[in-house]
Amino acid sequence: MPFTLELNQVSKTFDEFVAVDHLSFAIREGEIFGLLGPNGAGKTTSIRMMIGITIPDSGEIRAFGEPLGRRLLDRIGYLPEERGLYKKMKVLENLVFLARLKGIAPAEAARRAQSWLERLELAQWTNAKVEELSKGMQQKVQFIAAVMHDPDFMILDEPFSGLDPASSLVLKDALLDLKKQGKTILFSTHRMDTVERLCDSICLVNHGRSVLAGGLREVKARYGRSNVQLEYEGTLPLLEDRARVTSFNDYGNYVELRPAEGMDAQQLLKAAMETSRIRRFEMVEPSLEEIFIATVEGGKPEGNAVEASHA
Amino acid sequence: MRNVLLILQREYIVRVRSKMFIFLTIFMPVFMAAIIVLPAKMAMKSSGERHVVVVSSSAPLADAVAKELTAQDLDSDGDEAANGSHSHQPKAVDFAVTVEAAPTEALRARLTDQLRAGSLDGFLWLGDDVVTTRKAEYYSRNRGDFIEGALVSQALRAALTRQGMTTHGMNADEIKALLGPVKLDAVHIDKQGEDKSGGVGAYLLPFFLMFAIYMTVFLYGISVMRSVIEEKSSRVVEVLLGAVTPLQLMAGKILGVGAVGLTQVGIWLGCGMLVGGGGLAAAGPVLGEMKNAHVPTLGLALMPVFFLLGYLTYACLYAAIGAMCNSDEEAQQLQFPVTLPLLLCMVVAMRLIREPDSPLTFWLSMFPLTSPLVMFVRVCLTPPPAWEIALSLGLSVVFLWGCIWLTARIYRVGILMYGKRPTLPEILKWIRYA
Repeated sequence: MPFTLELNQVSKTFDEFVAVDHLSFAIREGEIFGLLGPNGAGKTTSIRMMIGITIPDSGEIRAFGEPLGRRLLDRIGYLPEERGLYKKMKVLENLVFLARLKGIAPAEAARRAQSWLERLELAQWTNAKVEELSKGMQQKVQFIAAVMHDPDFMILDEPFSGLDPASSLVLKDALLDLKKQGKTILFSTHRMDTVERLCDSICLVNHGRSVLAGGLREVKARYGRSNVQLEYEGTLPLLEDRARVTSFNDYGNYVELRPAEGMDAQQLLKAAMETSRIRRFEMVEPSLEEIFIATVEGGKPEGNAVEASHA
Repeated sequence: MRNVLLILQREYIVRVRSKMFIFLTIFMPVFMAAIIVLPAKMAMKSSGERHVVVVSSSAPLADAVAKELTAQDLDSDGDEAANGSHSHQPKAVDFAVTVEAAPTEALRARLTDQLRAGSLDGFLWLGDDVVTTRKAEYYSRNRGDFIEGALVSQALRAALTRQGMTTHGMNADEIKALLGPVKLDAVHIDKQGEDKSGGVGAYLLPFFLMFAIYMTVFLYGISVMRSVIEEKSSRVVEVLLGAVTPLQLMAGKILGVGAVGLTQVGIWLGCGMLVGGGGLAAAGPVLGEMKNAHVPTLGLALMPVFFLLGYLTYACLYAAIGAMCNSDEEAQQLQFPVTLPLLLCMVVAMRLIREPDSPLTFWLSMFPLTSPLVMFVRVCLTPPPAWEIALSLGLSVVFLWGCIWLTARIYRVGILMYGKRPTLPEILKWIRYA
């Protein structure tokens, strides 16, 4: 399958600070790709290089099989993390202006803007100024601006931030629709649940380097069904017992934990039942959130992953 | 090019539609007119009619003074008829004069009482020896109204002179000829020949035009800066840069705002021409002088050139400042050094106009940050040698080119930098980035 976007040993340094360090990954045509990483990991810098705002110091970026150039930018759509609209201008004017910069004729731009606004339930705001809209509505307008010129590749930085559940649903459907049309989408987000549900592949970056990459299934399979999810009432002192539990993520009445090597899950269940009431007990693949935290905090992620797949 | 035009178009439409633009377009001429006309009017016209009594034992003298007071423009009547265009000198104060022929102490007390009560505005007490001593007393309530005092004194002098001349055997026509006003024509000599132009007006018009250039350069330069900051702080710039290059963005913005500036100046000039000389004459005698003002064709022809050079240079510098800042507040501190040369021009403007040949004027008309204003004024007043104009324009163009180069580099990096304002070494580093 051809690649929509390839990063090959891309580096970018600001003064002394290495923002992106020999980063490589490839996004297949038609997939939804998750670019993950903690704050300051180099996600924004990578994205800016993908849309030609900044130029890499070294390495190569290819889009649609060619070296990235201005001509290709019209085929890319970009939703920045923070709103990027003229607050004093009307919604429709904003959209038409941005679409025209991407080479769409004014009448066609207006037509497409109208139909997208209707689809995202914003039709009555067409002639409102952007500043009059709520944060979530602005986010939807921003999304329209990113997709209106019908790009083949979309880069969406935190597209769901600030959206209520209903709007999230509308947006998610729109995304899946685009995917069905064969578009390629790159997500940058911290929201692991979204990534788990939507993404085909991921790349986790930390300190400008790729620390975990591949298809979502494959990445999770590396860890095996080794984690335990517990829903409980009471207390679980055993979580603090390093001999039995390597790590855990406790929410108060729900906990996901990683048993210590050689520890039998049944014994853990027994120990847990002594101090609290267990409502659910399940052996699962580690959630992406778990993998994210373990990888970012663990320091030597790939090694861990290998270990885990042996276990 | 498509992108530059689109950005230009957006800047233009948004700005021309804004309330600020409409407000400024209407308010600025009103404001300027107010600055010029109001003080003149206020100085010229005290409110209402003054009721004044002239007391003298000599009835002819008292009548003569009363006549002078009520008809101050008496002397210029014939003159005006002859030369039509000469503006009618309006009376600063309207006097209603009563003559009292019996100077008694009782009368003085009565008049003083009336003065206190407010039924009288003043009285002139002429002693019997006024012709020899040339001294009289003027009683009035208003200590500060020097104009009234001056007018009374002037009237008395004229009456005395007239009387003296009559006693020396001159007839009325001779006296009138001798006492007629003198008209001074400022004749201006330059290499092309001589050129009559009115005194005050010759200075006022170039000053106003310079002020207009100053205001537009400053206001629209700041506008460019604001616009850069707005796009930066709203992150629009990130979306835009996915479609246009930083240089296109900067060019479109500066040209778009410049087009708004030209539109505004165009509206002002257009309205000015419509209202025309009639409006100016109606606005009062000081403005009336402007009719005599004369800006050489060369000055008018070069005005757009000077405006554009000034605007583009400053717009570039302001754009660079905008790119360095995250908020208007931050920009306010940084913009001052850039604004300084502009302000300097206005501070020394009057001196420049009085001494168009001084070394200060010469150097300011060569320095690219002041030359668009100062060279313009020089061209209007005493056209300097062609090589000086050419040198000044050449320096400006070279400097502008440098500004564009520098700003493009600062802008390209700056618009994507958030957070802390960059230090000077950091900015130098931005400029060196390839």
